[in-house]
Amino acid sequence: MRNPRPAAVWVGVAAVLFGLQAGAVAQLLASGLADAVAALPGVAVPAGLAALERAADAIPTLLSRETIPNRGYYDGSGYVGTFLGLAPDVAWLLRAALIYAYSFVTLGWLWVGYERYRTHYRIADWTPRDDVIDRFRGHRWGLFGVAVVVMFLVMVAFAPALSPTTTAANLENPYSHEITYWTGSGTETVTVGQANLGSGSQGTPQENVGPMQYDDFGRFHPFGTLPGGKDLFTFIAHGSRISLVIGLVSVGLSVTVAIVLALLSAYYKGKVDLGAVLVSDAVLGMPQLLLLIMLSVILSGTWIGKIYSGAFVLALIFAGTGWPAMWRSFRGPALQVSNREWVDAAKSFGQTPTTIMRKHMLPYITGYVLVYGSMTLGGAIIAIAGLSFLGLGVNPPTPEWGRAVNAGQEYVTTASWHISLIPGVLITLVVTGFNALGDGVRDAIDPESDAEEAGGASGRGGGA
Amino acid sequence: MNRLKYILKRVLMAVPVLWLGTSMTWFIIYQGPVDPAANLLSGSERLTETKYEAARTELGLDQPPLQHYVDWMWSLFTLDLGQTWLIYPGSSVGALVLDFLPRTVWLGFWSVLIAVCVGIPLGFYAGIRSNTVADYIASVSGIVWRAMPNFWLAVILLAVLVGSESLLGFDWDSFLIRLPTGVTGNPGLSYMAGDPLALFTQPRDTLAAIKKVLPAAVVLGSASMGNEMRIGRTAVLEAKNEQYVEFARARGVSGRAIVWKHVFRNALVPLVPVITTEAFLLIGGSVLVESVFGINGMGKLFFDAAIQGDLPLVGSLMFVFIVLLLSINLAQDVLYTLIDPRVGYEGT
Repeated sequence: MRNPRPAAVWVGVAAVLFGLQAGAVAQLLASGLADAVAALPGVAVPAGLAALERAADAIPTLLSRETIPNRGYYDGSGYVGTFLGLAPDVAWLLRAALIYAYSFVTLGWLWVGYERYRTHYRIADWTPRDDVIDRFRGHRWGLFGVAVVVMFLVMVAFAPALSPTTTAANLENPYSHEITYWTGSGTETVTVGQANLGSGSQGTPQENVGPMQYDDFGRFHPFGTLPGGKDLFTFIAHGSRISLVIGLVSVGLSVTVAIVLALLSAYYKGKVDLGAVLVSDAVLGMPQLLLLIMLSVILSGTWIGKIYSGAFVLALIFAGTGWPAMWRSFRGPALQVSNREWVDAAKSFGQTPTTIMRKHMLPYITGYVLVYGSMTLGGAIIAIAGLSFLGLGVNPPTPEWGRAVNAGQEYVTTASWHISLIPGVLITLVVTGFNALGDGVRDAIDPESDAEEAGGASGRGGGA
Repeated sequence: MNRLKYILKRVLMAVPVLWLGTSMTWFIIYQGPVDPAANLLSGSERLTETKYEAARTELGLDQPPLQHYVDWMWSLFTLDLGQTWLIYPGSSVGALVLDFLPRTVWLGFWSVLIAVCVGIPLGFYAGIRSNTVADYIASVSGIVWRAMPNFWLAVILLAVLVGSESLLGFDWDSFLIRLPTGVTGNPGLSYMAGDPLALFTQPRDTLAAIKKVLPAAVVLGSASMGNEMRIGRTAVLEAKNEQYVEFARARGVSGRAIVWKHVFRNALVPLVPVITTEAFLLIGGSVLVESVFGINGMGKLFFDAAIQGDLPLVGSLMFVFIVLLLSINLAQDVLYTLIDPRVGYEGT
């Protein structure tokens, strides 16, 4: 390395940025591992894992509920327990703003790192990929998509730190947690469950806690409360996790199947292609949402249906019903590349079919994976929300956006309009963001392409 | 002759697809982890051996699986759809479908029509005035419209219409034509029973039925509308830059004639498959929309059957849906060869 300075500066700043949140990363990994083990049937979580989780919790993090607490109570003269004695809403806003600022700074710094690599260290002055990236940078609609998707991902990653309260206290076991509040003349302590009973949004102005309001127990609700008094923001932030996990797992699986099949059918053509066409047409011939409903009813009682509150089986079903549409989108480009000279050359060179497919065909279609993957992810989010709106899919009490829409169905035109409206607007926004990202990537990879025609239905989650 | 050959090929392709789809349905329902016979009995009945055995015999489950599969497939392909157990118990599925299908068809027809009548003109308009403010507004609203979940849109629209008097300043129920049963419920189609011409001879009833189904149709067509808009816009943009358009312009053909005769006609071609592909979305979406608006159509029937565990009914309905989708696809292929004669020769 001729000039180590830019790299050293970059690594130094990156280390500081990571150090601020190292605890959160460790926590996320440890809890993810524990969840994965707990999801396996018939396996108890080993003590070592629990200890690991506690150790990860003990690492201090800057942007956490503990460092910037928003939960506190008014004792007549000032707030007790909140960050610097600020009002709970200000403390929460500060924390949320810091989390988003941190995320965007980190992302920007990664970009700086890439540019430094490009200017100082990469041997080639120019690669074809540079053009793709430059085109994407000039694509405003795609950048909007990136911004929305990043905001959604930050919400997923920082769900516990962003929420004004915890899932354990507010959603799962409200009766084993207590809060203190100011009654007007003194402080009193009640369980969260009792407080929830008095702070539900039931449609009338008296019984409603709207967005950015306090309830009678001095608790701040950024998105208001559910009819049962639970905090809607906590519900949505944690619900975003399950939506993304299902979406990623299902899209990952269906992309894998679709790519393998596309490569095989493009390489061998003829009977293999015909067989794939028949099977995919048969799956496509059954309306996806109906197939989802049928399978989630049938598989709900089995052990696989209980993993991760039923989300895992949903992801599997989604992958099983989603690959044909994706395969159809990959088939065209794969067929195109299989007719190129370099594939013929490789064949006459004596390379094995697997090598040809992997080395000479796969790179050509990977770009499309991002395009269709991103659009299908949006569709998966809609479909999962639609299923839980109908009462299928993800089991309560695990939060899911569609269930919030369902809960607020009766209150849309009342004072408690926020229950249905906010999750719906968020779904629309997130899906638009994923679609915009897909559009941007498509235009960046291949400005001439008209891939949207084929992808039209895939971004819609079977009509939910 | 080539066109005929192409269509024949599509029909032949549909046969294995139908067979595969139906077989998968049979496998999921009868070989899955849920015992369809036990599911049909109530809690106490499940304990009595005789009732359970009777239910098994009735469903043919006492036969070996292969025999059952052949019997089941045979009865479906001869259009014997069996009977219901838990939903409207004891009635024949065929009669039930005939009773429920018209509502869904009525809903689907209007949702396609609304989407086509709004989406395509808007897309063409945006394409002709590309990169103006009007284009940006139309495009962005089309994209957002497409991303909105049907079930949410249905919930919001229903609530707004129910409270239309205070929110919009007019009462939807008595707007133009009085709907005595409110916003939700079945469209009254019975006046057409046995006399399809009543659609035209009794315009009042027709209008009432349209109005009843209109909100649901708008919601169901929303995604398609956004899609058609987007694709209509691209199609016009592409057709605008074709050489024949430039040639026509060079020959002095008026702008109006170019747009109507050369741009629009060719821009319509890519829209045909889009409209029919949306049949998939319509059938899936009908479950949610019919549930929210309380329309007793096929989607709601399927959902109720699935929720209550009437698995034999679920299987028969799935078969009906598969047949429906395949026929729509075939109709699309035929239509496509008529509009764009090149299609049959590409060996697709």
